[in-house]
Amino acid sequence: MAITWESVNEGDSLPELHKKPSLTQLVKYAAGSGDFNPLHHDYDFPQSKQLKSIIVHGRFKYASLGELVSNWLGHKGRIRKISCQYRGMDFPGQDIVCGGKVLRKSEESGEKIVELELWTQNAEGKKTTPGKAVVVFE
Amino acid sequence: MNSLTKEELEQRLATFVGVDIGDEDLARDPVNETMIRHWCEAMGDNNPVYTDAEAAAASVHGGIVSPPSMLQAWMLPGIEMADPARMRPTRQTELHKLLSDNGYTGVVATNCEQSYHRYLKPGDRLRSTTRIEAVSGEKATALGIGYFINTRETFRDQDGEEVAWQTFRVLKFKPAERPAAAPSEGQSSAPAKPKRLRPPKGHDNGWWWEGIDAGKLLIQKCSGCGELRHPPQPMCAYCRSIKWESIESGGKGLLYSYTVMQYPKFPGYDYPLICALVELSEGTRLVSNVLDCDPGDLQIGMELQLSIEAVDDELMLPVFRPVKRK
Repeated sequence: MAITWESVNEGDSLPELHKKPSLTQLVKYAAGSGDFNPLHHDYDFPQSKQLKSIIVHGRFKYASLGELVSNWLGHKGRIRKISCQYRGMDFPGQDIVCGGKVLRKSEESGEKIVELELWTQNAEGKKTTPGKAVVVFE
Repeated sequence: MNSLTKEELEQRLATFVGVDIGDEDLARDPVNETMIRHWCEAMGDNNPVYTDAEAAAASVHGGIVSPPSMLQAWMLPGIEMADPARMRPTRQTELHKLLSDNGYTGVVATNCEQSYHRYLKPGDRLRSTTRIEAVSGEKATALGIGYFINTRETFRDQDGEEVAWQTFRVLKFKPAERPAAAPSEGQSSAPAKPKRLRPPKGHDNGWWWEGIDAGKLLIQKCSGCGELRHPPQPMCAYCRSIKWESIESGGKGLLYSYTVMQYPKFPGYDYPLICALVELSEGTRLVSNVLDCDPGDLQIGMELQLSIEAVDDELMLPVFRPVKRK
């Protein structure tokens, strides 16, 4: 299961990570992360009313991309950088599938570096949170 | 507060660029296993390097670490975020208020990037400074017009060593107007959608539009040399013959080039509007629209399938959709 530097190839897919955060999980996340923006838990908040729903924390999706990469990387290396764009909103109780693939594998100044393309995809197949990551192997 | 003119507002916005939002912020708690456990529980993340000392000792980290993407949790204010009156005033809250007071009341995060120089361990005590790096000009977006604000937060540990940084971008926007009240019974909900511009039809191209009305995408073919051409023209550019016939396209094409229209929004069109130059398998190209495709998924050379559809009760147009491969 665990990958090694040698076994990584450009074009490899990362095993998908499935999320379906419930309202309860988002409330727990608000407490666990300190992100208490009411848009993520309060249906009476004006922006929630306008959207007719609360929305999943962007930071929750960002952290899910981090989890996806860490699961794939195992304990063989470290994440150096993750970036993402928030292109679309996700809502509680809906599927979020996190995916990724290996864009580039290279050795630079003695470091074993892999660049990844990442995304979260909603039930309609739209990539709501595309991103990138850089990881360094031991 | 009275609304400022756009020039006045943008002058005020410019004064925020390049400034630190306030003094260095000190994390309320050192990195600790309890908060890590709560965060992992919220995420549903069972990775043992965050909670199991034995497993963590065997990893590259040599002991329990905080999940890298938990970084901001050590600095976020928590429940105060739900009550702006309790938030510590900073140049950033001042900037947001200035925009809110001028009608840009909505806010969404649009980009986040974090770079980790090392993983944090229990006992680390973070401090951070945040700088407003840029405020954009006024932009038209799907949510409404607004301004993008870029900030950069630099995180240091108890020894003053930089351990991570984050760039974050938000959009402060004027919510686009939505249909007000529910329609009363018997009335249609929205005003009739304005019709699109009509295509000019003349002596040389009217036959092509009649083909579209009949559900056929026609391609002009020179009767002299057999060369195909589009858009319709009276004379062949290759052999100068003015005799021509037409063939029907099979409807398969590739995306040759495209642009995504964002602004200004012409009435009658749906946005984002993907305007594409499609190369048909017969070899000619035509300008059309790509439907049911996220602009981010467009790729030059992607396969497209023709569909001829009614845009309103008078106008038929050829449009394309991505070919889905399973």
